[in-house]
Amino acid sequence: MGLLSSYDPPARMADFDTIRGQRQKWHEFLVEQFQQQINGVQDMLAKAAKGHNVQPQFYDASAYDPGGAVVEQAVVWNAFPKELLRRFGRECALKEADRLWPLSAYSNDWIYDSDNPSRDFAAAPTDRLFYRPTVEYCEWHVNRDPSTGRIVRVSFTSEPPEYWFALAGGQMDGSAVAFPGDMNLLLDLYRRHVDPSVRMEELVAPKTYRSPLGLHKQGGYDPYNKWNTTHGAMHLCAPPNSLSAEINLAALSTLLFEDDAGALVVDPDALMAGAALGGPNRNSDPTIAATVNVLARLGAQITLANPVGLYMDHIDLSGWDAPGGVAPADCVRIVRGQPDAIERLEVKYPTDEFAVSDIRIGGVPIRYGGQIAECITVKLVGAAAALGSITTAPRTRLSAKAYLDPASARAVFYRRGRPLAGLVRAFSDEDAEVEPMPPSALRAARST
Amino acid sequence: MTGAKRTAPLEPTIDADDIQGITAPGFFKPFQTLIGLNYPRTDKGAAAFQRAVASLEVSSCGRTLEDRRAHRADSKLVSPPLIAIGISYVGLVDLTASATEIGSEAFRIGLPGRSALLGDPREGAGSPTKWAVGAPGAELDALVIVAGDTRETVDVESHKIEKLFIEAGIKTLLQAGGVLPGEMRGHEHFGFDDGVSQPGIRGHASSSPNDFITERHVAPGQFPAEALYGYPGQDLVWPGEFVIGYPRTSPDPLIPGPIEPATPTWTRNGSFLVYRRLAQDVYGFWKAMRAEAARLSQLSGFRGLSDVALAAKLVGRWPSGAPLARTPKLDDSELGNEPLANNNFRFDSDTATLTLTIGKDNFPSAKADPLGAVCPLAAHIRKVNTRDAPSDMGGRSATYDRRLLRVGVPFGPLVQNKYGDPAINEPERGLLFLSIQTSIEDQFEFLQARWMNDATRPKSPSGNDLIVGQNAATRDGVRRATLFGDNLQVAEVLLPQQYVIPTGGGYFFIPSLSALRDVIAPRAAETPKQSTARKAKRK
Repeated sequence: MGLLSSYDPPARMADFDTIRGQRQKWHEFLVEQFQQQINGVQDMLAKAAKGHNVQPQFYDASAYDPGGAVVEQAVVWNAFPKELLRRFGRECALKEADRLWPLSAYSNDWIYDSDNPSRDFAAAPTDRLFYRPTVEYCEWHVNRDPSTGRIVRVSFTSEPPEYWFALAGGQMDGSAVAFPGDMNLLLDLYRRHVDPSVRMEELVAPKTYRSPLGLHKQGGYDPYNKWNTTHGAMHLCAPPNSLSAEINLAALSTLLFEDDAGALVVDPDALMAGAALGGPNRNSDPTIAATVNVLARLGAQITLANPVGLYMDHIDLSGWDAPGGVAPADCVRIVRGQPDAIERLEVKYPTDEFAVSDIRIGGVPIRYGGQIAECITVKLVGAAAALGSITTAPRTRLSAKAYLDPASARAVFYRRGRPLAGLVRAFSDEDAEVEPMPPSALRAARST
Repeated sequence: MTGAKRTAPLEPTIDADDIQGITAPGFFKPFQTLIGLNYPRTDKGAAAFQRAVASLEVSSCGRTLEDRRAHRADSKLVSPPLIAIGISYVGLVDLTASATEIGSEAFRIGLPGRSALLGDPREGAGSPTKWAVGAPGAELDALVIVAGDTRETVDVESHKIEKLFIEAGIKTLLQAGGVLPGEMRGHEHFGFDDGVSQPGIRGHASSSPNDFITERHVAPGQFPAEALYGYPGQDLVWPGEFVIGYPRTSPDPLIPGPIEPATPTWTRNGSFLVYRRLAQDVYGFWKAMRAEAARLSQLSGFRGLSDVALAAKLVGRWPSGAPLARTPKLDDSELGNEPLANNNFRFDSDTATLTLTIGKDNFPSAKADPLGAVCPLAAHIRKVNTRDAPSDMGGRSATYDRRLLRVGVPFGPLVQNKYGDPAINEPERGLLFLSIQTSIEDQFEFLQARWMNDATRPKSPSGNDLIVGQNAATRDGVRRATLFGDNLQVAEVLLPQQYVIPTGGGYFFIPSLSALRDVIAPRAAETPKQSTARKAKRK
């Protein structure tokens, strides 16, 4: 048995409390998600151990207690998307981060150019759908005054789409858990936080379609509805920004990887790209994976702390200057979640006298939502226990190779199989410089 | 080691005759005088300033390297001082309108306007209106740096330069600084060896293949360490992080990144200089260390914690410079004084012992410390350089493009008894912080505002940088740092006051020698008579 009795909703938000049985179903959903990932890790370990049964280092805290003290560690990252920064440089990245990209371009997002959108790779059924290319588990929508273009409000969210699927009721794609849900409550939340004029029919899928987030049935909740894309941001909608992606990344990062030469991979960038765990050009994924992986190398057992979620930890208001004698803190409001575990945050000047565009950061007026995102720290919280308890983890061979464009080595590409033409191998020498400390040495170091 | 798979990367040759020596390889002289300059805003005043600037013998990269190598061969050598000049935006824009094309918002706004972003106090001591130099409305137009081997040689040269500018009608403001005396040489006023983690600059100073800007000390055959480091653990950073017009950092430290365009073109071979005059309250710092150590030592896991050990945890090094990562419990001055060993440690993995070109590293090697059980994540050295660890900005490569070259020195007299009380007219002391970088925003400002001042970044569980972080940047004016005890017990250090107080400075552009000659002070050495003669000849 685990020490945790049940998983709470993200940030312990109370929406589910009014729906009978909803909290229990959320717990069951989390248990199911953890178990799916543990099974996947177990399969990979069995393969690496040539059929031998090996204990996974990732666990479900409601089902298993590794014993000893549990150390919680927040893994933090900046909200502004590094993918855009690496590709475009800051000025252009700020513009792109406030834009929506067509969902049909998602699988080719590294070549998508919103000033010159090519339709070559567009898949017709999803052309009408859009997502935010802000893939650091934090997204935002900028409301501008249509007559002046000035920013009146910027709304940030780190709420995972799964929470909203649960709120809508029914089963998520690939899940056996059926949520009671409450569409009226969902509508009410949209009206409260996005726009009072939202209508129910605008939130449901007009016809059945599949997106990277799963199958969306006709008449069911549509995560790519206009109030969550072109007209607002209620929750995360970029395909990688999901709770299941978070759990998957944490679970796979507990595996130990070796390179072609059989050396243990310890470099965060080499690990991220070579093991194809997530986005190598992000702030979030490499730091999540490497933070988990180093604890796994030290023989710890690892999980995600309850409540499992993605959060804005805080917004740094240093250098903010609001006009009219207003304190910058009065322009920022935590709307959902709590301090240190913020799910929704709004930036708005408290009266109609001035706008967000009148606020300056370091003397520079806010022109884009991304300037605010640069001040936001996002996080998840991991938990590690029983350091040194796993001593015989087998190593999994890296599945991909990383590349850089030698003409402009800004972004990392990775690929399984044949090399990418015209690019040069990256991280081929920095994979592993030294083996990790054996647990016995670790214990000795701790006791001295 | 993974064994040799690849050869070292091809490294660029920088223009050693055109780049100022303070930019690369950097002035690391024991004594300095900073001469702040303000010229009259008249055509005549600007021309006089330009003439005086043109007559300065500004030291090139080549000359500075030559000087450094001569000192490596003869440590007692006293050579003529090195000279550098930086111009602020307000100083530059009245000399060339193209200064408005410089992309750096921070440079254009200037240090006083960015001070709040850096977490500086908004009122009272440390707030810009109280600054001794560069206060709002009194920003310097230019800063001349005179750096030398003795106080005497620096004084002679700086007074000569001061006279030159005074005679040209330019207002001057002198600030002397230098290493602390005796055993404190190389240390800052709190008592810690300073500048140990200086990055190396990747690249050649000439077409000769072994003419590296930064010397290499890792013996060949140890790839990738031989290509990653100058001294063991000293990251070799692509020169574009310090000099405009060269490859910057790429995601892979052994592959050159993009070359950012120089805008305007005359900024090529230039750089940015950040000057922060930081006063240090040494008595207050040690009083706080004593009180906090006494409080913490009552807690399980922290018994016997001394004030020096606590301060060492907050710095990440012992006073001698020895890293906690290699000597967790006691200072080791031999290790602290050994450049072949005192920077060779990683945070997330065990550190291999390297074979060196000369000498040996026989000190205990560093063990993996990802949670900060030995060297806290809030320690200053972990706040400004995450080494092999990931951070809130991504993988390991995220630390390379934040690095800056520190070229400053302390100022003011040494405290005789750090546990005493300040005298009524206690002289001011502190650090003349000078840093070289190509992006003020992404390097200096990022490190101060986003990593040092922040309680969670670059990695948690950390806290604020309790050495250089600023209290005004915290929610409640109190800086905190998380420490682990002997058995991973958690405790928090609390500092409601700050002991490093900004008292001035400025942001400056360090032009190349050709930009000085052709753009900033064009034909400036001419007297009116010469100018008339030249124009007459052209007709």
